[in-house]
Amino acid sequence: MDQCALKQGFSSLKMKVLAASVVAALTAGLAGCVGTSTRGADTTGIDWGKIPATKLALFYPGKSSYEWLRDPAAHKGAASETARGDSCVSCHDDAKEEQRQGAKILRGNHPLEPIALPGKPGHVDINVQAAYDDKNAYFRYQWKGANNIEYPYYRFDGKEWKVYGGPRLDKPVQEGKQPAIYETRLSMMVDDGKVPMFKEQGCWLTCHEGERDLNPATKEEVAANAAMKAYKKSDVRKYLPASRSNPADWKTGKSTEEIARIKAAGGFADLIQWRGHRTNPVGGTDDGYVLEWRNFDDGKNHFASNLDAATKQPKFMFDAGKFGSKAVTADQVGKKDNFLIKGANAVPFDPNAGWKAGDMLPRYTLQPADASGSAADNKGFGIWKDGMWTVVVVRPLNLANPDDKALKAGGVYSVGFALHDDNITTRGHYVSYVKTIGIGAKADIVAVKLP
Amino acid sequence: MKRNVRPLVALAALCLSVPAFAQFDADAAENVFKENDCHKCHHATKAKKGPALKKIAAKYKEKKLDEKEAIKHMTAGQKVKLDDGKEEDHKIIDTKDVKVQTNVARWMLSH
Repeated sequence: MDQCALKQGFSSLKMKVLAASVVAALTAGLAGCVGTSTRGADTTGIDWGKIPATKLALFYPGKSSYEWLRDPAAHKGAASETARGDSCVSCHDDAKEEQRQGAKILRGNHPLEPIALPGKPGHVDINVQAAYDDKNAYFRYQWKGANNIEYPYYRFDGKEWKVYGGPRLDKPVQEGKQPAIYETRLSMMVDDGKVPMFKEQGCWLTCHEGERDLNPATKEEVAANAAMKAYKKSDVRKYLPASRSNPADWKTGKSTEEIARIKAAGGFADLIQWRGHRTNPVGGTDDGYVLEWRNFDDGKNHFASNLDAATKQPKFMFDAGKFGSKAVTADQVGKKDNFLIKGANAVPFDPNAGWKAGDMLPRYTLQPADASGSAADNKGFGIWKDGMWTVVVVRPLNLANPDDKALKAGGVYSVGFALHDDNITTRGHYVSYVKTIGIGAKADIVAVKLP
Repeated sequence: MKRNVRPLVALAALCLSVPAFAQFDADAAENVFKENDCHKCHHATKAKKGPALKKIAAKYKEKKLDEKEAIKHMTAGQKVKLDDGKEEDHKIIDTKDVKVQTNVARWMLSH
């Protein structure tokens, strides 16, 4: 693959070539090789040694939801300031604030973390580098962490296929009934000034009671709510205060017409998520946005559910000739790359293939050839070696899609970072206070123009 | 042998002249200060929600107030008036150890 061509951007032809080369590399790598290093290798050709790094400390925020922040009994001495839009760092400005906050919350018996998470550090140090050329912005992240790239499975129990494994905060995992299994994720939320208070409060605007692991709303409560019915959603996920009549109550969603108006005016936060299982193996990074819910962009993602809703059976299984077996077993989790990829090692599920109790298939199929539209804008290359993750995310400049924040040369954007590692999801992440990224402009993190 | 007593005299004078509140463990005090989130309202030199430590120290010096007054302020949960005219209960420090409270007070008043 021509490195210079890659650096120049991703035309549709080049994207197809890239996808094909990723699949080819994966197919070779998946034929029983353990720990191959071709997957996720940075193919941008950038000399990152010449790009300055900004060191950030991402800290564990626990259950510090937007509602908690505005509660005078909880966020003592700061609730009214939060409600009026003061920035978090107007108070949280100490040089070691993140380290101290995270350590406090995970000390044990802290009101913001009632679940025991022994051994979990309060913060993670991450280096961020940024660069751009005429076509793309490139973000490179490095942090020390475990190589968690598995995702929960469907496991056959002799009669049915049931979920096996789950994120660390889930009750069955906490009770030892299920193993902790979840993919590592690195996310960046972006705003260009159009989301009220994002510049001051960042991602906390999107974190609300009623969401999973934050005193979740029941299925019945959501089903009974007119706005959630209109949004066609069955649970509460990240949302912006502007999408609600009461910014601190998920039940007060605005009409779909009003939501459309807010979106058309750019009042949404872009959400770029690199996923260790569901996008990295096929060179992708999620593209979504947050407004009334946590939405995927238009088009098709790099991944799709592997469950047939009608038969309650998987849609695809491994091609034994290419993968070595038609399924995975529990003792193989974490031992090799167990990615089920259409066009590479996946074949239609055969219910008569002689399934045994204990056979497992991934909950998601990766679909590199199908990824399309706005949902497939971003690319991602992540590699883990000797305890260190190195992830490069490529975001085209000047996107014109109605569900994207266009990054432009000279622009400065408010961003929030989140890292999910440790087989965890939802609020179990490490996060940053709001930072700024300048594309060749003065900011906390400056993207350097490439030659 | 003659003894040079001048250094001893000077040292004695110094001990007598240095106020008691100058003796404190700064690192320990700052740690307690930050563990109690005091830094979120009080910066060393700039005004935040609460006055800067420098301003507090200057006020105490002018009014001849000592560390006991500072300790009272950090333990009694008294009402404090904010810039917008509203009142709030001042946060109470999370230690009943008088030695720790004294150390923090002395450090604050040293600004």
